Amino acid sequence: MTTSSAQDRAELLHKLGLDAQNKGPIGRVITTGNIEQAKEREDGTMQIRLRIHPDEIAWDPAVIVMPHGGDLEIEIFNDDLNTHCALFPSNGDRKFIWLVNHSRGRARLNLDGPGYYWFSSPTGNDEGRGLTGAIVVLGDVPPEARLDRPEQPRP
Amino acid sequence: MTVEYVDAGEAIDQGDLSGKHGTAPPVVENVTYERILDARSEPQNWLTYYGAYNGQRFSPLDQINTENVKGIGPAWIFQSGTSGMIAGASTYAFEASPLVVDGVMFVSGWDGWVWALDAKTGTEIWRYKHATPFDISLCCGNVNRGVAVAKGKVFSVTPNAHVIALDATTGKKIWDKTYGDVRAGESATVAPLIVKNMVVVGSSGGEFGVRGHLDAFDLDSGEHVWRCYMVPKPGEPGSETWPADGQAWARGGANCWLTGTFDPETNLLYIGTGNPAPDFDGEVREGDNLYTDSIVAVDADSGQIRWHYQCTPHDVWDYDSIAECILFESGGRKLLGHFDKNGYFFVVDRTNGELVQITPFVDRIDWGNITRDGKVTPARYPDKEGEPVHFYPGPAGAKEWTHAAYSPETELFYVPIQDVGATATRRRREFKESIPYWGAGVQVDIEDMTGYVSAFDANGEEKWRWRNNLPMCASVLATAGGLVFAGTPSGEFNALDARTGELLWQFQCGSGHHSSPTTYSVDGRQYVVVPVGWGGWAEGFLPGMLGAGHGSALIAFALPEESPTR
Repeated sequence: MTTSSAQDRAELLHKLGLDAQNKGPIGRVITTGNIEQAKEREDGTMQIRLRIHPDEIAWDPAVIVMPHGGDLEIEIFNDDLNTHCALFPSNGDRKFIWLVNHSRGRARLNLDGPGYYWFSSPTGNDEGRGLTGAIVVLGDVPPEARLDRPEQPRP
Repeated sequence: MTVEYVDAGEAIDQGDLSGKHGTAPPVVENVTYERILDARSEPQNWLTYYGAYNGQRFSPLDQINTENVKGIGPAWIFQSGTSGMIAGASTYAFEASPLVVDGVMFVSGWDGWVWALDAKTGTEIWRYKHATPFDISLCCGNVNRGVAVAKGKVFSVTPNAHVIALDATTGKKIWDKTYGDVRAGESATVAPLIVKNMVVVGSSGGEFGVRGHLDAFDLDSGEHVWRCYMVPKPGEPGSETWPADGQAWARGGANCWLTGTFDPETNLLYIGTGNPAPDFDGEVREGDNLYTDSIVAVDADSGQIRWHYQCTPHDVWDYDSIAECILFESGGRKLLGHFDKNGYFFVVDRTNGELVQITPFVDRIDWGNITRDGKVTPARYPDKEGEPVHFYPGPAGAKEWTHAAYSPETELFYVPIQDVGATATRRRREFKESIPYWGAGVQVDIEDMTGYVSAFDANGEEKWRWRNNLPMCASVLATAGGLVFAGTPSGEFNALDARTGELLWQFQCGSGHHSSPTTYSVDGRQYVVVPVGWGGWAEGFLPGMLGAGHGSALIAFALPEESPTR
């Protein structure tokens, strides 16, 4: 059974129980959730809201997309009836926050990219159950860091 | 009824929850170019990657010596481990060469880690973690070979090809420059080298069809000073060694992924360059392919190439010449010794690149031969599409990047040797940026392999050999205590008699060695420190140990504090 479109994929994930807790596998297959682009403020800082919904043990969005490298501010809501936490990638050191039931917190990250990074809730096996998400940084390296050669073909 | 959220506050540095954080004494403030020039006059310290600009990896410390080495044991162990998902989680390795300045150790790990430790206790003082993209191109594992220190700063490269300067007292970032293109398949693994007021770094990515380069940045500001490409553009000197048509040169490789050495009298940096790309398909890049697989002398002020010696012209075996260029004097000449992946020991005059002698240093070489006067004749190589060809040494070479040492006391070179072959089958493919560009399927032998540490004089005469049942894949260290330290892939850390090769001491470290041990002293006590953490490009240099356990420990050895022999 294969999928041929985004709609098919969502339907098949749901049908096989891959997008929820304790249906197909025990947990939820990571990054099967929503994708959202961070909004950019005038000063170039990017921002986004991140939630953990009750009994989903998953991030919403599961994939955060930054249009370019730089600073990202995240407002985090734990709407779950259990305690979780978050460990985010950031230049300098990773950022950690403890999230008791029904709590709200903040994180400020710096990511240079391009590329993608993982974040998670490193308690128990939240990471395996579904609380592992990705932050994608789009864009290119600065022009001065590019090779002095003609444009090359890409995949 | 609406229930107010509990305020969880703002996320904090994970290091604040380590129980170990602080500020290092300002020991690096007065580390200057002049001090590094005379680094071996400070035997208590290990100020630069090789211990000195000459690349000898020799320490004048002799408290631990042939008489008492059997009494050394672990003084402390530092471990980091990993949390979360990291790039190359199955291939990370602890490859660094720890630096020590007046009781403070600076060492890098995999995945963008840098630590400052108390060199006497192993206690973490500060940490820096560069966020590393999960999806960067890493040919040979998530690794880093060390840091540099000067003028109050610690310098490191990151897997995504940045060079960063950290405050040596706090670990906070001072400046950060991107010098490679991760979308082109570039990365960085090299330990930076301080030269004058510059930090010199090279690029990795030779398996992705990039154009290798060496860069210099101003220590204070991070401003870019010069870039030296190791593959010439059309019309530049050396371009005649590439096809006139097409863009083979633009994807030609020659990365400088290992730290160079430096002679202040010639004002030359001695850099080994990497393989051409594609590694095994030479037909798409006819010619000698300069300056791949070469010893290249680069003027430290201008970044211009002054001379070169190519060890493997038109390489089709992946025989990078990145290995260290050890500077020494013999017969009144200023010489350079280089143990190449192709299995030959080259000695050249470092003032002009003139060949002095060539000798094979591994038992099995059948890819071709090089005569005493430097004539290269290939014999076995992947030539026909789809036809497997077996050759010795394999693509990791008779000695990979892990370093030899030279003792000015014994006037011997000590060399970790890998005697293992491989089969390559040419498989042509189109070039696409960021996709591996090997031009072959390659399988390294998992049987009929061996290793040894050999001692050679400057004439290439082997004086002794210590044999191991597995290839030797870690740097060796020579000391004035008459010792050579050498780690094995199976975890043993050995002390050998520098004059005879006799095994005098051994300790099982729990994971294989693929790093560069160093030595230093604090309050009059000598330590030998070794990063231990098997991994990296094991499928290339020792696939027979691909299933061995990973580790991530830094272990310091010393004599007992109350030893009557001290």
